[in-house]
Amino acid sequence: MDFSWIIAGPTAARHLALMGAEVIKVGSSRRPDPSARGAPFQVYNQSKEYCALNLSTSKGLDIAKELVSISDVVIENFAAGVFERIGLDYQTLKNLRPDVIMVSSAGTGHTGPDKDYVAYGSLLQHYTGWNTISGYGDGEPIKGGLWADPWVGMELAMVTVAAINHRMQTGKGQYIDFSMAESLTASIPSSLLGYQMTNSLPVPSGNEDPINSPHGLYKCQGQDEWIAISIQNATQWESLCGTIGKKEMSLDTRLSSPEKRRNHSSEIDTVITAFTSGLSAHKAMEILQDNDIPAGPSINIAQVYEDPHTIGSGYLTPQTYPNGVTRLMPGMPWTSNLENSFHLEAAPEIGASNLRIYKELIGISSKDYETYLENQIIY
Amino acid sequence: MGLLTGLKVLEIGEHISAPYAAANFVRLGAEVVKIETARGDVSRGYGPYPNARRDKEQSALFLAHNHGKKSILLDLNTSAGQGNLKAMIPHFDLVVENQKLGFFNDRSLGFDEVNTINPSLIWVSILPFGETGPYSNYLADDLILFHMSGNAHGMIGPVEDPNLEPPIRAGGYQSHMVAGLTASTAAMIANYRRLNTGEGCRIVVSELNAMITMAISGIANTAFDHPPPTRQLSKVEGSSIGGMVSAIGGVLKCNDGYVAISPREDAQWERWLEILGNPSWSKDEKFISREGRQNNVSELWDRLTEWSSPKSKFDIAKWGQEKRIPCFPVNTIQDLLVDEHLEAREFFVEIAHTKAGNLLHPGLAYKLSNAELPKGMISAPELGQHTEEILERYVKNE
Repeated sequence: MDFSWIIAGPTAARHLALMGAEVIKVGSSRRPDPSARGAPFQVYNQSKEYCALNLSTSKGLDIAKELVSISDVVIENFAAGVFERIGLDYQTLKNLRPDVIMVSSAGTGHTGPDKDYVAYGSLLQHYTGWNTISGYGDGEPIKGGLWADPWVGMELAMVTVAAINHRMQTGKGQYIDFSMAESLTASIPSSLLGYQMTNSLPVPSGNEDPINSPHGLYKCQGQDEWIAISIQNATQWESLCGTIGKKEMSLDTRLSSPEKRRNHSSEIDTVITAFTSGLSAHKAMEILQDNDIPAGPSINIAQVYEDPHTIGSGYLTPQTYPNGVTRLMPGMPWTSNLENSFHLEAAPEIGASNLRIYKELIGISSKDYETYLENQIIY
Repeated sequence: MGLLTGLKVLEIGEHISAPYAAANFVRLGAEVVKIETARGDVSRGYGPYPNARRDKEQSALFLAHNHGKKSILLDLNTSAGQGNLKAMIPHFDLVVENQKLGFFNDRSLGFDEVNTINPSLIWVSILPFGETGPYSNYLADDLILFHMSGNAHGMIGPVEDPNLEPPIRAGGYQSHMVAGLTASTAAMIANYRRLNTGEGCRIVVSELNAMITMAISGIANTAFDHPPPTRQLSKVEGSSIGGMVSAIGGVLKCNDGYVAISPREDAQWERWLEILGNPSWSKDEKFISREGRQNNVSELWDRLTEWSSPKSKFDIAKWGQEKRIPCFPVNTIQDLLVDEHLEAREFFVEIAHTKAGNLLHPGLAYKLSNAELPKGMISAPELGQHTEEILERYVKNE
């Protein structure tokens, strides 16, 4: 049962749906899922069933409880306390289904002094330390949005399935009180340990690296075309020098280690840019990779969508919508040796599964069904 | 007992992605044996180190991802090493590895081979580009994967001249972290299948596709024919880019750093002005509506900064949240380690290391009602510390 909305919760349920779980999303036109206004809804809710239910009515709540009693997992991501106030706290759910797994995700979790803090993902990431380890080290926090919600969606899916595995072996259900903020902070562990060891805060350095050099972006031909190049060992350095027509540079003892090269970075960058600036980023990648040099273009999301590897690797596949339009839509970022690895279907509209869920699955009579529609219970 | 107590995991990992994936299992109670070569996991050589003294046992990057594991030295380039691995495989449920494409096939340790030895074994490989598609033989690291994933173009927000200011990557080797988390999820799902059917399987995680999945909203927008956000400042329209300075929200300078605020709705804006003491400038026509505030955003931000500069980020965040306005201090790493909320939730877990001392590690991002949290966890192993113990248990007694 997916009672969640916006991004993180629906994404977690999406992953389970793509892996073959039967996922029923519940929402109401009384308070529509805000993400339904945009295209991203179409990925957050792939492969789900979607029924309408007004949880502010007592009959609506009864129906929700009936659905919970036949479900393995309940996912919600309202602000802390909201789901409980609706009447769907863990104890109630547990009474309906003793081994239920209830996954509750909120910005700062469901306990602690700041549990009621109002959070948007883009703002929450500032709290978690994320924004201070990226950028140029000039003190200004970076302004761009990172991947707070998609990251949380992936971790929610991970712990949900871990809890299912635990239940299979112990028979025990689980209440998972998930904090988005903690999930993000836990994703920068080496910065946390490094600070404790050195007593100095991490200084972000854009595209540079503390170990490897050269390591950065080089201008290519065309508007905003850049290629990322990273040299990880002596062989790659030698190959780079040869490929860009500067074989003598690989013999230069002033440049024989990453540390030395970092001290002469502007000299080296000028030479590399002289090579890349005459090529498109994709052409530069092709030439460099053919010579075993790690390189790839810095591209925007529309270019990613059109990149030959995004389709060639099987990540995007055609999906046909009820109106007959076919679009390339994403699957999961892995492949396996099993047939039919993923269950991929277009995201439904609200209420699309009403008949199947209410009449077929839990046996509501046609007469009652009509009444519930009329009274805005199935709404 | 943790969620994964009893699960036996073999990690043949280096650097971040596979070690982090296995660390997720350790935190949930699984037993993880890590195979290392005599050189050791490369992350032992990355640091930073206490007192800036290079020591392969004290690298922060290594300690971050390897606590609670057992380390065994095994040279998979020798037939003895390969034999030992084969002898161990029947005793494990899951292998997670990030060796180069073809590494195991070249050593007669491909999935078909190990599947014969242990049909219920799950084998999770992490590769930069997966093993299908035109780039599968290409080389990459975090910089390259991050830039190829579409995420870099949103990092610093729009710039004056995109041909002079390149996109940048995030700190913390995020594409490897994302790949590791994705591998953990895939492994859990495969384990569910194993528990149901008794069958193992092989999964290949593409680091690039995992990182693209972090930009899945943008993928959806493109699929539905919306243009990507521009990097050119002069072409920015509206105010829809998360986190950047706009009428939707942004970051204000304080006397101790920065605070992120978002009084975006009119009602929130009114409550926000109460915190500021309803200054006279706020009554100016141009700041009354959200549209007006957007059109005069730089003047607006100057006014707000004038107010916030002598104040503390923690105070402002508290005042804002008291009035239900999304508002957070921009925490440094130092701030996090003493954060009262995180302390109340016992988020950090102290782990003692014989050389590096007691360190606070991030624990689980969740509390569980029916399983134990990782307390009393042991620190990362020394290189090859458990070689004898493991070989004794799994190989010599055969």
